[in-house]
Amino acid sequence: MAIGPALILLVATAYLPIAFALTLGFFHRTAFDPRMTWAGLANFSWLLHQPDLWAALWRSMVFTIGSVVFQIAFGLFFGLLLNKAILGRGLMRSLVILPYMLPTIVIGLVFNWILNPEFGVVNQILLQLSIVSRPVPFFGGLHTAMPSMILVTGWQYGSFAALLILARLQSINPRLYEAARTCGAGTWRCFWDVTLPNLRSTLLLIAFLRGIWMFNKFDLIWIITQGGPLKATETLPIYVYRIAFEDFNFGRASAACLLMFAILLAVSVVYFRYFSPTKEIEVGR
Amino acid sequence: MKKSSRFTRRGILKSGLAVGAGLAAPRIISRRAFAMDAKKVVFVSEESSPAAQAIYDAINKDFLAKTGITVTMEYPGFDKIDQRVATLIAAGTPAELVWYGDGSAMEVALHKQLAPVDDLVKELNIPENLRLVVDGHDRSIATSQQFVYGWYRSDLYEKAGEAPYKDWDSYLAVAKKLNNPPNQYGNLVPSSQKGASHLLMQTMMQKNDAHWFTFDTAKNDYVVSLDSPGNIDKVIETLDFLHHAHDFSPEAANYSWGDLMSQYFTGRVANSYYVGARLLQQVEKNAPDIAPATKPISLPANKSDSYYISVQGFHVGEGSNVDGAKEYVKFFMNHPDYIKWLHSVPLHIIPAKRETLHSKAYQDNPEIQKRMDVLNFIDSIWGKGKPSYYWDGDKLNPYVGLYENENLGGWMLAERNIAGRDSKSIIQEAAAKIRKKQADYIASNKG
Repeated sequence: MAIGPALILLVATAYLPIAFALTLGFFHRTAFDPRMTWAGLANFSWLLHQPDLWAALWRSMVFTIGSVVFQIAFGLFFGLLLNKAILGRGLMRSLVILPYMLPTIVIGLVFNWILNPEFGVVNQILLQLSIVSRPVPFFGGLHTAMPSMILVTGWQYGSFAALLILARLQSINPRLYEAARTCGAGTWRCFWDVTLPNLRSTLLLIAFLRGIWMFNKFDLIWIITQGGPLKATETLPIYVYRIAFEDFNFGRASAACLLMFAILLAVSVVYFRYFSPTKEIEVGR
Repeated sequence: MKKSSRFTRRGILKSGLAVGAGLAAPRIISRRAFAMDAKKVVFVSEESSPAAQAIYDAINKDFLAKTGITVTMEYPGFDKIDQRVATLIAAGTPAELVWYGDGSAMEVALHKQLAPVDDLVKELNIPENLRLVVDGHDRSIATSQQFVYGWYRSDLYEKAGEAPYKDWDSYLAVAKKLNNPPNQYGNLVPSSQKGASHLLMQTMMQKNDAHWFTFDTAKNDYVVSLDSPGNIDKVIETLDFLHHAHDFSPEAANYSWGDLMSQYFTGRVANSYYVGARLLQQVEKNAPDIAPATKPISLPANKSDSYYISVQGFHVGEGSNVDGAKEYVKFFMNHPDYIKWLHSVPLHIIPAKRETLHSKAYQDNPEIQKRMDVLNFIDSIWGKGKPSYYWDGDKLNPYVGLYENENLGGWMLAERNIAGRDSKSIIQEAAAKIRKKQADYIASNKG
């Protein structure tokens, strides 16, 4: 009885619009024509024949994997660092979480300026140190735009990973480390044989969650590069946006969204089937 | 044992469906409601400067007092107005009035979403070359226009002992001479899939008499001619010219309109361009010391003196409060503040009629008086430009959206200047893209 109204609201404001958006992929629907005519699989057929779709999918995978790896590395580094009793740990913990709290628009604009070829501080330093002779177009270069985007998203969301990893590290039984050292294990072996196995479920969860979010990432890429230069950062969400708001074809855009949903659903099934996160938590690894 | 709750699963689902239908009902009702609400006008404007907004507010207040019709303004911004218009139409609540470029409006008109406005065009005596005629009816009431032309630093030219460029060779020569990276570049060639790059390519193609389409009388339709014999050489020539000019430009791989202005007023470039005089306004605000030396100039011509014209006007949404919208347009165009509205960005919003440009009322503005050289320049090139949908022929070309919507001219520049591909293959690929889209467009619009 208590959840009834909330469920109704959820259905009306979330599930119904989602259902509409997903079924729209089976209809011909453009922005300027209010008619919706049944298209069957025509939108999907059109999509699968577009080279741009496969290119965007590839870029999405590169962006997702690159960004998640960076976030985990960032999180692992700061998680391990902040787990130690170092001077200023409290302040550092606050600073590490700061990127995650900043609005995306702020991060986008700030990094646009920092890495700007003409006015950015990074290029100024590179030029002053004679590391480069001409400014580097980080977000404007064909080979630098995607790594730069990965760097920015890695920085923004690495703190999320750091928080989860830190929480898990603090729950590891210290006797495991004592036992390892008694057996003659050094720092590296302790990390490899004690810390990492205990972090496994956390790292997998971070990879899974962050992977989904990075695969769907639209805002930061749009703010900074809008998918450019020359589609170098055009991931699937950007590609879908273009179909919807440059070609004004909502039917095809919805079909592309359905494809994205299918991909993420497949990944989720694999994750829950083969990594069994609940079992790992129960075992207490 | 307690009886089971009244909130069964079936009951919740039924309620959900009812709520959903209930939520959808207003939308269905509102489709008719807005069209029938003779006392409301939604006005979506591309021009959103604070000065323009203040004038809109004043005119709207007078309109309300006279007619009892409330005007609600929306300012989605230059880059987002197309999406906003499309969203309103898709939602079944078209705006009564949209003020923006005719190039974008044409797309909407071709989908039969703009009401005919022949009566207003006749009554307000809109110039012939600014009319937008789709399916035999006028769909736009042109209020103003903007031309694409260059801006240059006359002080830097004088210091270098150079005269303003006249043609392509002299343009490249002076850009090279004034090029001293990274502190100063000879010119600015934005090479990205954005509007600023596309309009540069479009304008320079016009300067070289190069075309995207040709009207085929046998087919009674436009066909892609970007890569056709004769024309392709002109497009290659244009692309290569801009590639050479790019040697004296910052990389500009993701530059948009704002970057054109900021690069200029920070003193980074000796030559730039813009679709109007807003660049000058920004220079006066941000770098007043170089404003007097900022002079307008036609972009260099090769085979033609034409340039890209952006026509802006009022467009009335089909299925909206058409009568109220038309009444507003007449009121606006005859209101004493119409001239003030043209002055909201002086010399940038150019009047539709030349006699207005020459009028005392229009010229009686301190900003214009300060820069009568710009007004005289605009007057000197009056009538030489063409909007993109009349560039390829006298009949309206309905296919310009196929290359404009994705800024294909900018894509070509990016492929040439950033990716380093050869011009011919780029043009052939661009032509193939447009043909595919044209075939798709024709197939989906049959019947």
